Parts: sequence; structure tokens; C-alpha cells
Amino acid sequence: MIVSRPERVMNYVVLLVFAAFALAPILVILTTALAPSTTSPGGLATFASAWTQGRFGHYLSVSALVAVVVVTTATLCSILAGYALGTMTFRGSGIVFSLFLLGLMIPTEAIVVPLFYDLRGLGLTNTLWAVAFPQIAQSIAFGAYWMRAYFRAAPRALIEAATLDGASPRRVLWSILVPIGRPAVTTLVLLTFMWTWNEFLIPLVMSPNGAFRTAPLALALFKGQHVEATGLLAAGAVLVALPVVVLYLFLQRHFIRGMIEGAVRE
Amino acid sequence: MRHPRHLPYLYLAPGLVIFAAFVLYPLARSAQFSLYAWDGLGASTWVGLANYADLLADPVLRAAFGHAFVLIGFFSLVPLALGLALAAILTHGRVRGLGMFRTVVFLPQVIAMVVVAVAWRQIYAPDGTLNTALRAIGLDNLAIPWLGDYTWTLPAVGVVGTWVQLGLVTVLLMAGMAKLPKEMYEAARIDGAGPVREFFAMTAPNVRAEMAVALTLTIIAALKTFDLVYVTTGGGPGNSTTVPAYEVYTRAFREGAVGSAAAIAVTLAILIFGINLIVNKLVDRPAG
Amino acid sequence: MTSSRWIGIGGIAAAALALAACAPGAGDATGSGEQETPTEVSTDLASLGEITLTVWDQEVRGGQDEQMTRLNEAFQDAYPNITIERNSQSFDDLETTLRGALTGNDAPDVVQANNSRSVMGAFVGAGLLRGLDDYADAYGWTDRYAPSVLAMSSYSDDGTTFGEGHVYGLPQTGEVVGVFYSTSALADAGLDLATVTGSWEDFTDSLATIKDSGATPLELGNLDGWPAVHVFGPIQGQFADPQEIATLAMGNAGGTWLTDANEEAAATLQGWVEDGYFNDGPNGTDYDAAWADFSKGSAAYLIAGSWLAADLEAAMGDDVGFFAPPAPAGRDLATTGATGLPFAITANSPHADAAAGYLDFITSPDAMTILAETGNMPVNDTAALAPATGVNKDVFAAFGEVTTTGHLLPYLDWATPTMADTIGAALQDLIGEQSTPGEFLDTLEADYAAFVG
Repeated sequence: MIVSRPERVMNYVVLLVFAAFALAPILVILTTALAPSTTSPGGLATFASAWTQGRFGHYLSVSALVAVVVVTTATLCSILAGYALGTMTFRGSGIVFSLFLLGLMIPTEAIVVPLFYDLRGLGLTNTLWAVAFPQIAQSIAFGAYWMRAYFRAAPRALIEAATLDGASPRRVLWSILVPIGRPAVTTLVLLTFMWTWNEFLIPLVMSPNGAFRTAPLALALFKGQHVEATGLLAAGAVLVALPVVVLYLFLQRHFIRGMIEGAVRE
Repeated sequence: MRHPRHLPYLYLAPGLVIFAAFVLYPLARSAQFSLYAWDGLGASTWVGLANYADLLADPVLRAAFGHAFVLIGFFSLVPLALGLALAAILTHGRVRGLGMFRTVVFLPQVIAMVVVAVAWRQIYAPDGTLNTALRAIGLDNLAIPWLGDYTWTLPAVGVVGTWVQLGLVTVLLMAGMAKLPKEMYEAARIDGAGPVREFFAMTAPNVRAEMAVALTLTIIAALKTFDLVYVTTGGGPGNSTTVPAYEVYTRAFREGAVGSAAAIAVTLAILIFGINLIVNKLVDRPAG
Repeated sequence: MTSSRWIGIGGIAAAALALAACAPGAGDATGSGEQETPTEVSTDLASLGEITLTVWDQEVRGGQDEQMTRLNEAFQDAYPNITIERNSQSFDDLETTLRGALTGNDAPDVVQANNSRSVMGAFVGAGLLRGLDDYADAYGWTDRYAPSVLAMSSYSDDGTTFGEGHVYGLPQTGEVVGVFYSTSALADAGLDLATVTGSWEDFTDSLATIKDSGATPLELGNLDGWPAVHVFGPIQGQFADPQEIATLAMGNAGGTWLTDANEEAAATLQGWVEDGYFNDGPNGTDYDAAWADFSKGSAAYLIAGSWLAADLEAAMGDDVGFFAPPAPAGRDLATTGATGLPFAITANSPHADAAAGYLDFITSPDAMTILAETGNMPVNDTAALAPATGVNKDVFAAFGEVTTTGHLLPYLDWATPTMADTIGAALQDLIGEQSTPGEFLDTLEADYAAFVG
């Protein structure tokens, strides 16, 4: 295609402007974390003191624990549900699928109030379950939808051939479909991890005593605790963002594909 | 696939049970809570639709929903306009470094909103990055307290939303434009169409579906804004940046107005549901 | 997606409603709000066996944290059978999390609960806190504390009346809101302490003098809304009747915000904004950033609570001083202030005896000494424990003077469960010149009137 020279220069200028806009706030937080100030030593020492003073080491491990529980449970349930919805015919499948779609649209705010009070009544607040299960449920809504799409697109011939060879549905799923569907599963795992890691409202509400305070929460509550420790706060922010950003940089295709194709497109 | 009749239900059960217990049931309970006056501590009283009536009568709440709609402009419309231009350039501009740019522009999507809020709080502080930069280029009178100004704080929060959503919208539209046939453009160029006409005549109409998805996602994000407001402004100054989700939180967990919080939550859910419905109606795609 | 499917979803959502179980609040394990028949209380802590006592406090700033740490260590040395498990969060976080925690299954034994109706009042009404009258008799707390201090953490059983009834908490510290000043900044404007503290008029005149000299008179960081309450309160104290202010601040019936005196107070605060007495954009400035800026010389005055004294002294040395806002001619000294957050015992705590012993320990005369040593202002023996020099000498003196010859006015945000948010936002509006003094009072009156009915 022919593109004139001034047009191409213009294009580069526009791209650079927007790239700068996207990166500027990230650079601000990085430089704040690394620059020495009255309250922080600067450089990597700031990260070390955020790790100990802000107890970010502790909060990051809580985050990791919650993420592992949510991701494994949600992925497993999503694969099973998606398999049923995508490859089997049964009464009520349309309704079940519609319910999952509904779940994709329900904002956390709409369920968090009764969730807290009902779980409190059961004595489950301030436990891992109160923080994890609402997020598992929300991830299943997306996961079932996502895996169903994959199973529906899976080669029919392969499934039929395996069935003719006498493979049970379970074998078809675990020995044939899941291995071929590794990219789809990877995307699901990454997205679920990202949502869980970045979630704010659920851990804020479900663990009022801070027993299961995750890293993003610790960051928001860090402000009042350490006066004017901008450097430490920035370092904490970097620590909180880092795991997901690193995964993204290595596996960005999965992130982008999942977020684009996973958008409800019925 | 041939299978015993009960089998699909076995496969569905674990996921469906968790989902029903932790999403569907609480949703029903929200609707029920919204019909009571309850402080979250003692006994509750049935008040029917009074909480919803208050919703209409309470100026703070009306304002909160108003702010949410302003944020939709920043979270959805601005990124859509910018994203269309960017995606068009990226798809047909014959520029190098596309992969790099896509990585960079999408990055804000994966960063926790709390981290984003902390970064921007620092940018907007009275002596923060933005004002320092403005003073450096001699625009001292533009260096205002961005998070304490009745005119500019809501737009300032909105710009953060623009920053976050721009990458998602751009990448979505790029995916749509990549599917358009190159020949169409070649022909147009030979006929002497400029980039602007080319865009309005061919590109934009052909990515309607992607535009709809982008709008749906970003509008929902705008309506759900909570952590951003919680960390940057706490709804202030005055109530000029409070949003429905923030009201849900403060009412339910700080002020002990649980019924009212549930009514806002239900309204928010219905609003999101309605917007999905409208966008789906506008852009008819083959049923999936 | 087809329309029929959407309608199906809507139908399911509606059907789910029919499934909802019992009404909210039913079956929650909250108390009855009644004072339970006191069982025999024990003050012999050593005989209680191995106990872990969970304590939630908000003593996070330097000197506050230090006193708590020292007292907890001393307590555990004295009673090796009791382990203190401390959970410390900032004031804002504690406000946010306490409500959920207290009604949960593993509520702490001892909590620092703000005296306000939104916290202590609501908890008392819901039967979540234990009345302390029996322990007060056993330990002699009524002799230890002034009646006016105990009144600030007293409620009627049902939580409706504030300021009388049963005692529900014991404070460690006193708080007084006043004016921190920078000696050097005053000198730069040709002023000194004597010329600005003669009377309220002298003080307000000094604001103009400082402004004319090219400096900023007042620093305020009001991003969160509540800091301005501590500026408006002292101003109101110079105009309105102390008794009327107390009625409004405690949310008891019989008061009104719509008085000329209150309007004058609001107009004064707004006038300070119009005259450019504050730093640029107080509504956009963080509280902590504001006092840090003040300590670096950004303004001559910082109107704030005594709890900042230790931090300011650490940053400014002997350049910082403190005075209570001087009264207009013919009026008593009056300013906002109270006790620090009282420590209370949760109703469901199985370790009430140990908890009461802990409360007794951290408010004892020895504890008061430790509080003073760590730069906090003890609520009892204040005058005797005042340091010889430094800003805390001024702070202790001001607290002593206001409590003995003047009026310590309760925090205005105590009044109703929603008043903290209401007055915070209303003051941001007033300072941001979005509302007139009259509109400001109407907003507060609406909140107050709706509560007292």
C-alpha cells in the first residue's frame, strides 16, 4: 500500500505521543520509588524497607495464597462446566448458559453487601473462604463461557473417533481436549490470576480485621499508616503491580486475546 | 457426543453450585435487602420501595449517578474516538514497531486499579508531577489542586479512566480492522481518497461490532468505578466525585444504611444489564 | 443474543427473588442491647489462667505506637499468663473495619472505639459493647477520671442518649485542637506570641498581617474532609454557646444549627478562604502532606489537634509552639477537644475480666507517666506531667487551661451516624466556595434533625 512520507511521519508522531501518555504515570511511580527522599533511602533499599515496614512481604504472600486457591478451583470448575455446555446436549443447557452470561454482567457491588452480612452470619468473614469463593464464583461465570467456546470449536471428528474407540467422556476431556486446548486454558488461568490479584472490593469487605488483607488493600491502607512516605508507597505500588506486569510482558498474547475474545459476543 | 443422561449435570455441578451460591443467591438477597431499613447491626424493618424513592429524592445519590455518566464519557467515548484513530493508523499506516506499541498501550489494563490510583494521586498532588511540569513551562496559573477542585476533580478522575481504557479499545478495534480486506483500501487510494475519507467511508462502518463490544466493556467499567475514587478522592471535594459504587460501600459498611446500599447496588446492576441489552440490540450479531 | 434468551434471564432473576430467605438481621448473633446482669467480676488477673487478649487500636503514629508497645510489654511482664495480640490500624481504617469485625465470629476483646454515635453509639445500641460500671466500681475508675471525661464515653443502654448512662470506654489521652505556630514565621511578619494571643481579634488580625507580609498564614490539608472540622470547631467556639455546641455535637435533642452565631462562624471560615489566608487548594491537599509542609515553613499557623505535637517537634525542634485559640473579650476560652479514642470491651468477649484489667493497667497513674514520656498527653494528671520545655509544654498547658477554666467542645462529627461524611463534604463545599454559610448550616441541620427526629 502507498503511504505518503508526511503521512507516515505524522503517524509516528501520533504513536509516540500516545505511547508516552501510556508510560508516563508508570515512569512517575518508578522514579518516585527509586529516588531518595527524607523518608526513603532510594534505589532498591526503598523496596527493602517497603517490604519490611509496609509488611508487603506478608501481604503479597496472602495475595498469592488467595490467587492460587481461586485460580485452581475456578479453572477446574470452568473446564468441567464448559465441557458439558460445549459438547453435550441436555435439557436446561440454554438456561444454565444464560445464567453464566448473567454472571458476567453482575458487578461485584451488586452482591457484596448481602455476601458480607450472610457470611458474617455463618461466621465465615475473615477467612480465606470469604475472600476466595465470591471471586471463584465470578471467575467461573467467565471461565464456563470461555471454555464452552473452546469446546464447541474443538474438532468434532476427533471427539467422535475417540468415542468410537471406546474412550469415556472423561478420557476424551482429559487426554484429548485439554492437552490440545492448552492455549485456551492458559489464557483463562492468566486472566483469572490477574483479576484475583488486582481485586480490591471483595478483600476489603470480606476481611474487616485484616487477616486476609491482600496486597492492593495494604497499598490503599498504607497511606494513613506511614506519614508522608511517598517513596515507600510508590515502592509498594510497584511491588503490587509487578507479578501481573511481568506475566503480561512474557505472555501478552494470551492477555490481549483473552480480554478481546472474552468480551461477551453472542 | 453420546453420554449417559445424567452426565452433563455431574460436570456442571461444582461450577454451577459455587456460582449459584456466591453470585446468584447474593443477587437475590441484594434485592431483598433493598426493601428493608437495616443498620447492619440489629433488627430490620420492612420499608417496601422507600429506599428506591430515596434514591430519586436524595441529591447526593442523584449526583453520584450523574458523575457515573460523566465518567462514561471519559472511560468510553473519549477512548473510542482516540482508539479509532490510533487503530486506523496502526493497521494501515505502514509503521514499524507495532508490536511494541501494542504492548505499551495495553499495559494500563493489567495494572491493579489501586496502583493506578496511587500513581495518579501523586501526579495530581498540589506539588505533584503535573503541577511541577506546568510551572516548569510557565503555566503557573494552570497548576491547580487537581483533587480538590470542584470543576476539575471529576474530569481528573475521568482522565485516569481514559488512560486505563484506551489500550483495550485500541487493541479491540485493531483486531476488527485487521479483518478488513486490503484490496478495498488499495482501490480507494488509487481513486485518490485521503486517509480521513478512507476512515469514515470504509473503516469505521466495518468495525461496528468491535465498537459495540468496546463500548459495553468500558461503560461497565465506568459504572463500576470504586477503587479509583476510594483511593484518590474519597468522593470529595464535597460530594463532587462520589459514584454509585462508592455510595454502596460507605452506606453498607460505614454509615449503617444497608437497605439503601442494596437499593443502589440493585439499580446499578439493572443499569448495566440494560446497557448490555441496548448495545446487543443495536448491533445484531448471529446468535452464538 | 436472541431476545427470548434475554427475557429468560430476566425471568430467572425474578424467580431467584422468590427464593430469598429470612429478612436481613434475623438470626444474627448480636446482643440485645440490654445491660446483662453483671456476673461476679474478678480483678485478680494472675488467677485467670492462660489467656490471649486481642486488642485493636489505632495508635500508629510515632509516640502513640511507642507508648502502646511499652505498656503492652509491661502488662505482659506483670501478667505472664496473658498474651496481648495487638492489631493496629490507622484511624480511618479502624472506623471502616470495626463495624464488620465487631459483629463477626472472632471479634477482638478490646477495641478503641470512637466516642461518636456512628461508632460507639451504634455499637452500644446494638449491644456489642460491654458496660463498664461494675469494673469502674471494682477498680475505682470514677475517682481516677473527671466526670466530664467519663461522660464523653457514656451512653444510655439503648444508645439514644449520649453523655450520660453507663460508661463504655476509658480513654488514655486528652486531645485539644488549637493553633500550632512557627516562631520564625511569626517573626518574619513582625509578630510574636504575645501580640497574636491577646484576644480572638488579635489572632485574626495577625492573619491579615502575615498575608500582607507575603507569607501564607494558615496551612490546611482537607482532601479527606474531616481535617476542616478541626478548623471550624475552634472558630465556632468563639461565637456560639458552649452548651448549644455540645448538644449539637453529641446529637442530643433540643439544639439547632440555624443560629446567627453558627452563621457567623461559618462566614468567618469562608472569609479566611476569600482573603487568601490558606495554602493553595486546601481541598486538594493531603492531611499528612499539609503538616509536613507546615514543618518545612510553608505557613505560619496550622490549626490542628494536639496529636501532631510529637511529629511536628521532631521536624521543627523549638521553632514550633502551640496555643488554644484566644477568646474574644468577655468570653471563656473554648475550643474543640476531647479524650483520645476510648478503649472498650466487646460484649461477647469471654475474657472480660482480663480485658478490664488491661484497661485499668493502660490508664493507671504509671501509664500516664509513660504516655507523657512518649510525647502523648495523658488525660489524667496532665498538669503534673507536663514537660519542662518544647511544644508539649504548651499543649499540656492549653489542655489544662481549657478543661479547668474554659470549655472543651466535643467533635462535631460525633453527632449522628452520617455526620462525619455530611460535615466533611459540607466543609469542603464551604471552603471551595460552593455553598454559602446559610446553605452550609442547612445541610448540617438536615442531617441533625433527621437523626434526633
